[in-house]
Amino acid sequence: MKKEEPRWLEVLRVALPLCLSYVPIGLACGILLNKAGFNAILTLLVSLMVFSGGAQFLIASMLVTNAPIHTIVLMLFFLELRYALLGSSLSQYLRGTSKRFLYVFALHMNDENYAVNYLKFATDKEWRPGDALMVEHYTLLFWSVANLIGSIIGSFIHINLEIVDFALTAMFLYMIVMQLKNRLTILISFVSAGIAIVAMCLLKSTMGLIVATLIASLIGFALEDYLVKHGRERGYLLGRIKRGKKRPVSVPKSDAEGE
Amino acid sequence: MGYSTFDHILLVIFSMIAAFIPRVIPLHIFATRKIPNWFNEWMKYVPVSLFTALVVKDIFINTKNYTFVGLDNVAKILAAILVMAIAYKTRSMGLSVVFGLIAVALLAFVVPI
Repeated sequence: MKKEEPRWLEVLRVALPLCLSYVPIGLACGILLNKAGFNAILTLLVSLMVFSGGAQFLIASMLVTNAPIHTIVLMLFFLELRYALLGSSLSQYLRGTSKRFLYVFALHMNDENYAVNYLKFATDKEWRPGDALMVEHYTLLFWSVANLIGSIIGSFIHINLEIVDFALTAMFLYMIVMQLKNRLTILISFVSAGIAIVAMCLLKSTMGLIVATLIASLIGFALEDYLVKHGRERGYLLGRIKRGKKRPVSVPKSDAEGE
Repeated sequence: MGYSTFDHILLVIFSMIAAFIPRVIPLHIFATRKIPNWFNEWMKYVPVSLFTALVVKDIFINTKNYTFVGLDNVAKILAAILVMAIAYKTRSMGLSVVFGLIAVALLAFVVPI
């Protein structure tokens, strides 16, 4: 006897693969935050309030290197700036919702649940803002609990920090790979790497990261502008990189930017 | 370490604000208005620049005195190449992170991390 599935279960089914992939990353993040001096309550709090793997890893690793608070917050701001793009591309689907809904939605949006929701909004006519918010809350639940457990594990066992810290590096590498759409992005990635090394060695601080991000992104912006104005959209640098048979998952047509 | 619990709480609060502002402003503004083009164009290159800079810091910079270490961190370099390959093939963040961690843990036995 097949009954109509309740909505929360249906939405959970959509969100579950993502929720499960949060578990190992959340555990690693919790362990690192614990090693960086955060207790379990603060770890839970930061998972609920910031809810961004990259940001939380960054907090942990910058605390370990004794970075001043204002540098950490500034770095975070730049790191989270990409959400401006994600938010603006979702906004068209959230028209007609209340201000309060928008605030809660914005607070609990992150890269991955954005990708899920964007795909659902784009392909499923029945997908409502309320469902999207529910996806966000499921992912938030799994993420926070994994962080909390990681934090508790971290206080019992001794783990080589440098190894766990690589979780962050791996995550950023993954995000870089997801960003590579044309040869210009690859070029900008190398430009940023070069500037980052020089700037960090000169400034002797993580300020070098901000300098590299600003200069490299502006170079990319200027170069693309130049190439487009000179009719090279289809040229070597801006042509899309052809992928193999595998189609990119979850990023529909021209809206790949924010991911 | 030179942080008090108060510093940590302060950090969490400021982090929340820093994380919240970029997420809420566009949802707020662009629910009714159009996104300016230059902003979108610029934003396209912010993530890739930032992520690269962060990866470079993790792999090629000694953060104790901010010196360039070249190719000293062999384990991380090899694991990084593996992670990029897995990310490209599978497009799964979970798999990329888990295999990256396993790779760097195993490589640490044979080469400097």
